[in-house]
Amino acid sequence: MTKPAEILVVDDEMGIREGCKRALSRLGYAVDLAEDGAVGFRKVQEKQYDLILMDLMMPGIGGLDLIKKVHDIDPEIIIVVITGYATIETAVEATKRGAYDYLPKPFAPETLAVLVKRGLEKRELRLEAQRLHHERDQRLLELAGEKSRLRTIIGCMADGVLVTNLERQLVLWNAAAVKMLRLSGTDEPGRPLSHYVKAPSINEALQNVLSSKDAGLAMISQEIRLEDPELVLMAQMAPVRDEAGTLLGAVTVLRDITKLKEIEKIKSQFVSMVAHELRSPLAAIEGWLDVVLSGAAGDDERKKEAWLERAKERAHSLLALVNDLLEISKIEAGKVALKMESVQVADIIRKLVDFLKPEADRKALSFTIQMPEALPTVQADVQDMEKLFTNLISNAIKYNVDKGSVTIEATVDAQYVGFHVRDTGIGMAPEHLPRIFDDFFRIEDKRTSKISGTGLGLTIAKKIVDSHFGHLEVKSRPDQGSTFSVYLPYQKRTK
Amino acid sequence: MTVTAKILLVDDDPDFLDMHKAILANHGYEVITATSGGEGMERVRTDMPDAIILDLMMEKHDAGFSFSRQIKMDPLFKRIPILMVTSVAEATGYRFSLQEDGYWMKTDDFLDKPVKPEVLLERVERMLKKSREAP
Repeated sequence: MTKPAEILVVDDEMGIREGCKRALSRLGYAVDLAEDGAVGFRKVQEKQYDLILMDLMMPGIGGLDLIKKVHDIDPEIIIVVITGYATIETAVEATKRGAYDYLPKPFAPETLAVLVKRGLEKRELRLEAQRLHHERDQRLLELAGEKSRLRTIIGCMADGVLVTNLERQLVLWNAAAVKMLRLSGTDEPGRPLSHYVKAPSINEALQNVLSSKDAGLAMISQEIRLEDPELVLMAQMAPVRDEAGTLLGAVTVLRDITKLKEIEKIKSQFVSMVAHELRSPLAAIEGWLDVVLSGAAGDDERKKEAWLERAKERAHSLLALVNDLLEISKIEAGKVALKMESVQVADIIRKLVDFLKPEADRKALSFTIQMPEALPTVQADVQDMEKLFTNLISNAIKYNVDKGSVTIEATVDAQYVGFHVRDTGIGMAPEHLPRIFDDFFRIEDKRTSKISGTGLGLTIAKKIVDSHFGHLEVKSRPDQGSTFSVYLPYQKRTK
Repeated sequence: MTVTAKILLVDDDPDFLDMHKAILANHGYEVITATSGGEGMERVRTDMPDAIILDLMMEKHDAGFSFSRQIKMDPLFKRIPILMVTSVAEATGYRFSLQEDGYWMKTDDFLDKPVKPEVLLERVERMLKKSREAP
């Protein structure tokens, strides 16, 4: 024992007190003394004792009362009663009240030593038992806590979780699983899985996991398509085993990959579309070069030159296409950190009109610009604005009729500055309008077949406007021209 | 050189139209052109070509199929051989073959764009020869 046992002697007879102290101190115990019950009780309140020797007959608080008071503080304190009336009755009474043993007066120091030693051993055992009790209670508490913690954790998961036992009965699940699989009847657990799950593919896959006999870690991943609700789930199923490797059941984690699948599909569609768009001009270029090189269509030098010119044109349009694609991928990857600054878009538009004028002159188009002075500035990227309005104005030129006109107007409302590019061109049929911002969409008819374009110009325009938190609108009717309106948000000047 | 024949080119890409026309004209064929299925049908009715070279991808993506089906269903035109030229094949991962797709494609031969001039000439010649020998 590292620390000496603490012993308190409570007796109104000084001789007994001192005698006990002498005898016990010699044996290495720490001994305190109290001359009556009140003092003794105070000491017990102040300090933890292992054993108390007390006289039954004392003035003030009597021994029997003291036993109860002490045990209220610490029930494991060993109390040995010292009594001058060594009768069976007193002893029985004292032990009934919780005393460990009694010692009749007078007593020999050896008897005292033996009794104290036995009492202290008893105290050790009692404390040990108490500790074990406490530990068990703690474990039970932890287990209960673990269970509720587990429920809380899986309840918070966005992935669906199902746990089944060997009888393929559902024993644990979470809200996400209920929602994904539209589980019904979950108010009563422990029914076969098929009672709750309507999709047979999940039942089937689960059977596979549970039927695997090997002790190895068998994990099954599989995609599950649900029709109602329309979801694609990635289900991962693993057997649950105890420490000895005995199969207890299966846990199934369901992840909603519907969005991922959609993105994957759009991506692969885009790739195949791009491949086709790149292939057509390349095939034409190769075809023309073949014709010139093989001489299969004759050796007229002037014709050959014209054919090479055709190849060059296609190469040029291919380059424009690749540039547009790079542009889109830059916008989409968010690589272009937009350099937002206060921009007077009207100034940009005026500059662009000057720049595009020669192209318009070839068709003898007239330009009308009606933009009020002192338009509010917008937060925008200058290069993006140039690209946006180049696309819109050059469309207004390309799809215009000879001697037509292009009108650019600006309007201001509470939140947006609007820029409207109106042409008097061939216009678009209503059925085409919903698709004009799609990648590579071009209206194919006699009048557009001679107009070159990548089919990406409006896609880029839309993406730029979106990245500036604005919106792009179009009004058009066949043969009546089109109006593209860009609305960009502006910050009102604080006065 | 074989007896001269009248060939209809149907393609919405003016480059291929002009390119194939130049090659075939240089080898003595009479060439007529159309840029759409509808226009092609028109030319078939009015000019009765000896063979048709058809691009698969016109206006709508199935235009080539429906055009060839229309020809092959018509008792008057079904003997006109059709050479299907396409740039879909590798780009989309589809590959057409007469053995697998001939039944519903109802054309007589397939080529991928771009077509080598000598291959184009050889196929056209073979096609014409076959159709002349047919009972």
